[in-house]
Amino acid sequence: MFKMVVGHSDDPDSACAIAEVIEQCLESLDGETPQAGLLFSAIDFDYALILKILRQTFPDLELIGGTSDGEVSSKLKFQEDSLTLTLFCSDTVSIRAGLGEDLSGNINQAVECAIATAEPRRDTQLCIAIPDGLSANGVTIIKSLQSALGPEVVLMGGTTADQWRFEKTYQFYGTKAGDRVLNNSVPILLFSGNLRVSHGVASGWKPISRSGIVTRSDGGTVHEIDHEPASDFYHFYLSSFVDLTSTRLTGEYPLAVFETETSEDFYLRAPLSGKYQIGQSVTFMGDVPQGSRVQVTHGTGDEVIAAAQQSIEQCYRHYPGQKPSGLIIFSCSARRWLLGPRTPEEYDLCQTVLDPDLPVSGFYTYGEISPLKPKGETFYHQETFVTLMLGVE
Amino acid sequence: MNPDPNPDLNPDLEKENRILQKKLARAQINLTQIQQSRQNTETLLTASIKELQQSRQVLENREKELEAALLHVQSMQGKLLMAEKMSSLGVLVAGVAHEINNPVGFISGNLEYTEKYTESLLHLINLYEEQAKTQAIDPVDPIDRNLDIQAWCNTIDLDFIRTDFPRLIQSMKMGSERIKEIVLSLRTFSRHDEAECKFVNIHEGLDSTLIILAHRLKTQPDRPAITVQREYGSIPDIECYAGQLNQVFMNILGNAIDAIEEAWEQPKLGSSRIITIKTQLIEQTNVPPDDLPNNLQSIGDHHPPQCIRQWLRIRIKDSGRGMSEGVRSRIFDPFFTTKPIGQGTGMGLSISYQIIVDKHHGRLDCVSAEGFSTEFILTIPTQQTSFRSAFYVDLANGSTNVDL
Repeated sequence: MFKMVVGHSDDPDSACAIAEVIEQCLESLDGETPQAGLLFSAIDFDYALILKILRQTFPDLELIGGTSDGEVSSKLKFQEDSLTLTLFCSDTVSIRAGLGEDLSGNINQAVECAIATAEPRRDTQLCIAIPDGLSANGVTIIKSLQSALGPEVVLMGGTTADQWRFEKTYQFYGTKAGDRVLNNSVPILLFSGNLRVSHGVASGWKPISRSGIVTRSDGGTVHEIDHEPASDFYHFYLSSFVDLTSTRLTGEYPLAVFETETSEDFYLRAPLSGKYQIGQSVTFMGDVPQGSRVQVTHGTGDEVIAAAQQSIEQCYRHYPGQKPSGLIIFSCSARRWLLGPRTPEEYDLCQTVLDPDLPVSGFYTYGEISPLKPKGETFYHQETFVTLMLGVE
Repeated sequence: MNPDPNPDLNPDLEKENRILQKKLARAQINLTQIQQSRQNTETLLTASIKELQQSRQVLENREKELEAALLHVQSMQGKLLMAEKMSSLGVLVAGVAHEINNPVGFISGNLEYTEKYTESLLHLINLYEEQAKTQAIDPVDPIDRNLDIQAWCNTIDLDFIRTDFPRLIQSMKMGSERIKEIVLSLRTFSRHDEAECKFVNIHEGLDSTLIILAHRLKTQPDRPAITVQREYGSIPDIECYAGQLNQVFMNILGNAIDAIEEAWEQPKLGSSRIITIKTQLIEQTNVPPDDLPNNLQSIGDHHPPQCIRQWLRIRIKDSGRGMSEGVRSRIFDPFFTTKPIGQGTGMGLSISYQIIVDKHHGRLDCVSAEGFSTEFILTIPTQQTSFRSAFYVDLANGSTNVDL
């Protein structure tokens, strides 16, 4: 047996919101006791209060979560400034939470610690990670996690967000020993047992600018493109007539990164939002390898929304069973930024292909974590709609 | 923590109020974001459009450059074709000059004797004429001229003239017959008066080409003659562009002679000097599918082989040293030549290929291996018009069973 239930409240008041969420969950649990949960919260809530009330209701819950840039569920569809709780019950799947801290200090050590506290087993199937989206290199976190877990464990998740403020994001971690609200950390959930999973990845962005070669970069910081300062590459396309000396960059215009000059496949890298003067380096929320070919991309609303459906269709196509128990969405905050009032259409389109009874939850992240194809290597994505389908049947 | 402890207020209304306030605040932030986003999109698209316009300008310029280059290439191609024609014309003129030189030589050589014999005989007639006149004036005592006549007959060796003069005339007749024959061959070869597709005797075309090339086939001071074995089958008149087809024969036979001469210079490769020309008629039913012309194979099911009943196949084989696969695979490429600079334009076989494949809907193959002989195999339909009719009717009907 594996059960996923979802609670979702759009009440801005923390106590009211968590009360409403718990009430919905209890009703759906129908007497079952949840093992573990995922909590996604808008940035302005009182997290400590929420965790305290949640712990009172579910004292043994293994919990992880974090702040988000938008929340989505089968209860209230897409919402901003809301709270979602996803709970998992199972008698055949063991779910344990783990926590690694001080990501900016030592990623490998933090990852090792997170995995150790989650007590991995030989039959661990899935790891959901919700790392800080601002304090550390997402690519390195993923490589470290995948290396420690082994290639057989499916690694999924998304980094925490702060509603496009890029100031501070929060992660949640809780066990019966206590609950914590953290920064600079990586909480994980490990699923072991007979769990079946599948995933989908799609973005909708298309390269639009001329191609340039990254001639000097260091991790996520691109110093030069075609031997010119990286900001100049963007400046040509995005400088305004009012201010000719700087360019305001957002995740709305990610770079398509082609790892080789002839490659046709690309992944996206969003720049850290901010004002970039001419002649500056540009920092991206993920590594951009030196020597790779890059292009500024653009996504129309329709293309971006259509990607959501493609992602879910991939999930259904690859699910190794007949009856999934739930779907978790990790969508990029840049998508929400671009879509604006059309953001709810993403989930509305998903509903056209989803089983109406399937519990769904998710959040808008600063970076998505997923393999590109089944049993493939896990990548760090941006601007992407990642879906995770799970169940035992 | 509930922000409004007033118990009189409806909790639902309170919640609604909180949500609306939050949404309002959010809406203001979103509005600013959307404005910024729109500004960014505008500038991005403006820059992209500017780039596209520049690209279009570059493309337009490139197009003009390409057009100019194309014109230049066409002009060069025209010049090359002209060079090829001139080269063929040079071979042709050399052959004709050589062939006509012999008969003209013995006509002009005999003319000197003819003039001398005529003068001698005319003088003899004069002597007889004077003898006749004296007999008329004094029939009793005429002046005896017989001694003069006899002396003149001895001087000019009248008996020899009697024997030689008819031979001389016969020889000149033969010479002029030969010239007539060569001129006829030249006409057959060039077929300038037959630009259209007509039924012609292919063997005549082959023979006339051989006559033009005869000077290269004959015994040379330092080498024996090249033997041409003609194994002509029973062939009806073939519908073709005869002049162009003869140009193909000229190219292939000319190359065959070149190959034999090259081999002669390397004696260890063998000293056989033979060109074999075979012609045969192939009924459609005997042609295996992979033996059909290239352009028919590509037509596939839409063009059943039943449409064409007969094919002419001409095999021209030399006893030269063959060619490598690398050379063989490129011989029909324009400008490809293995001959020294100035001796070949590299267009001969390329043009031949066009004439056979494009102009006659046929196939031109080359079978060769280094150290062995080379054989060119020409296959063309015996009737071009029925081929075209069948092709177009077939296309128009979309049928696979057209039988014209």
